[in-house]
Amino acid sequence: MTCSDSAVLDTAATAPIHLERRWPKEGYTRIPNWVYTDPAIFQKEMDVFFAGQTWNYVGLECEVPETGSYKRNWIGNRPVIMVRTETGDVNVLENRCAHRGAQICWQNTGRVTDFTCPYHQWNYDLHGNLQGVPFRRGAMGKGGMPRDFDPKQNGIRKLRSVNRGGSIWATFSEEAPSFEDYCGPEVLAEIDHMLPGKPLKLLGYSRQLIPSNWKMYLENLKDPYHATLLHTFYITFGLWRADSKSECTPTGGGAHSVMVSHNEGKKKTEATTEMSRFRDDLELLDLETVTPRAEFNRGRVGGAWVFPAAQFGIQANSLKTRHVIPRSPTEHELVFTYYGYEDDDEEMTRLRLKHANLLGPAGFVSMDDSEMLNQVQIGVTGYPEARGIVEMGGRDTEPADYMVTEVLIRSFYDYYRKAMGL
Amino acid sequence: MDTWKPVARIADISPDTGTLRVMHEGDAVCLYKLPDEICATQDRCPHGNASLAEGYLEDGTIECPLHQGVFDIRTGKPQCPPVTTDLRRYEVRVEADTVYLKAQTP
Amino acid sequence: MTLTDLSDAPALRAQLRDFYDDYAFCLDEGRLEEWPDFFTEDCHYRVLSRENHDAGLPLGLIYCMNKNMVRDRVTALRETTMFEPRSLRHFISGVRVMELQGDHIVSQANFAVMESLSDREPSLNMVGRYLDVLRVTPDGLAISRRDCVYDNYRVRTSLIVPI
Repeated sequence: MTCSDSAVLDTAATAPIHLERRWPKEGYTRIPNWVYTDPAIFQKEMDVFFAGQTWNYVGLECEVPETGSYKRNWIGNRPVIMVRTETGDVNVLENRCAHRGAQICWQNTGRVTDFTCPYHQWNYDLHGNLQGVPFRRGAMGKGGMPRDFDPKQNGIRKLRSVNRGGSIWATFSEEAPSFEDYCGPEVLAEIDHMLPGKPLKLLGYSRQLIPSNWKMYLENLKDPYHATLLHTFYITFGLWRADSKSECTPTGGGAHSVMVSHNEGKKKTEATTEMSRFRDDLELLDLETVTPRAEFNRGRVGGAWVFPAAQFGIQANSLKTRHVIPRSPTEHELVFTYYGYEDDDEEMTRLRLKHANLLGPAGFVSMDDSEMLNQVQIGVTGYPEARGIVEMGGRDTEPADYMVTEVLIRSFYDYYRKAMGL
Repeated sequence: MDTWKPVARIADISPDTGTLRVMHEGDAVCLYKLPDEICATQDRCPHGNASLAEGYLEDGTIECPLHQGVFDIRTGKPQCPPVTTDLRRYEVRVEADTVYLKAQTP
Repeated sequence: MTLTDLSDAPALRAQLRDFYDDYAFCLDEGRLEEWPDFFTEDCHYRVLSRENHDAGLPLGLIYCMNKNMVRDRVTALRETTMFEPRSLRHFISGVRVMELQGDHIVSQANFAVMESLSDREPSLNMVGRYLDVLRVTPDGLAISRRDCVYDNYRVRTSLIVPI
């Protein structure tokens, strides 16, 4: 273990679920297939990672511009909402009525003056305080709530939350470390790089349902090895190469990662001859699709995986957050939120929209990923007792200054085994 | 010359709740029997679909039964969350044992 | 292809239906190289969610800002994209002329695309509306602007073939 910022390490929960699974004896260079299919493992992950001492992405400030604006999301499989209050702060609340548990907000975004659950009309202010219970005094002198019913004990739970440069994060745990300590300096630097405190402009969403375990997506974004081999668009059109200057850094005990590459245009070298689909006679007609305008990142591509389920990254001029919502052991939702800055000129906005063609479910360098994860899930589901092997780049968990490595995946499972007690 | 329309007898106002819901020119109006006068406001709470006549009257205020928003009856002003809008008030006249509200239409 | 008199509504609609069906046939048959032929040079082609469209957000999953980008998408699909083979079938209905503006027709239609993969039953892949501006040219109709606004909350797995 190389990284000292192991605040995330202490997330092992004393969960009541007893797991009889045994990890392969080789350790974190192997991934047993049952981590992608076992419902008990999935449930423990939801508790340990999403309801435990972790900080979870909820949204961007620009999604809730006015008092009472809300946005719905999920932390793991728990519904939450973020809402702009009358003080200008953004709160994160559980999206469930304190009475019987119904979901309060039924749409992705909206605007309210307060929250009312349609079932029994329990009414809450924008901070989740219970301010009205119908027939609390009864009707016609009969019924009503007991005299000692205390609204203060029956509000919607407000989560501990932070606003970092316009991104909103929340945790279910009072014991989780501060957001800064949780991220550590490397991850925090990536977030701050993309969200330097300037007002943001929302450009839109893309949503996918991928029929694979959520960890497969996490691994995919910790897997620069596949990038130039599966996504031949990258090297065919000069966006990224296996021999580019790059860094792969596991942090937070292996839970987080920072992955960066420096775009150096298209060349035919030893690396490209290895890739069977490289075609140096191919050129795009609209070169702007792969040509970023120089911006603050100076040709640097990459970003950070912020455990458990968020990624911040830059692709050409496209700025976005990625968020994973596990729906079941074998399905997850992937949400991209694209943004720009309020001071972007028209051309920059146009470029940001153009470069979004690279990503998402129809993305030139990403549509293959969801196809691939579908196939991997089919394979591992059929053989739950088998295992994957991640030894590219070696068998260690040291940071690397090259791309052809699976070190970030090894580091992740090193962390995972400890946190899950496996 | 103002016209006044009779809407109820004083005895109709419930001695238990101190309120009575009446219709006046198509609007639902709530009458309140206070110690020294009778007042009238809109009956429908501006915050939700509730009748103030089914609320709780105390010390010159009415508490809506739906979400416990409180209004001052005499001024119509909201006193606490979640209500933020003034109640429409109606002018009242009492003659003998009958309550009259001022007519808006002849 | 002879032009229909723009004032003859039933005939115009019939001609539009043929145009929409030809477009669907081209994609369903996998004739991707012919797909750009349906567009004008300065075209706009975008696939975006109803969520984005209703909120006035410009982000599209596919966003071609000119015909070269339309051609490039075909190139990328043929040469660089890895995907499971599939059969797609468009069902287009409710073709409607909204407005006539000189040599432009503002029209819309519903689409539903059924997808059949090798190892499971056919399923509804994408459903929504085409919001179009078509140009009447000497060679027939061409798409000047097409927004494929899909009703799906999410895209299942991926969107490989354009809508």
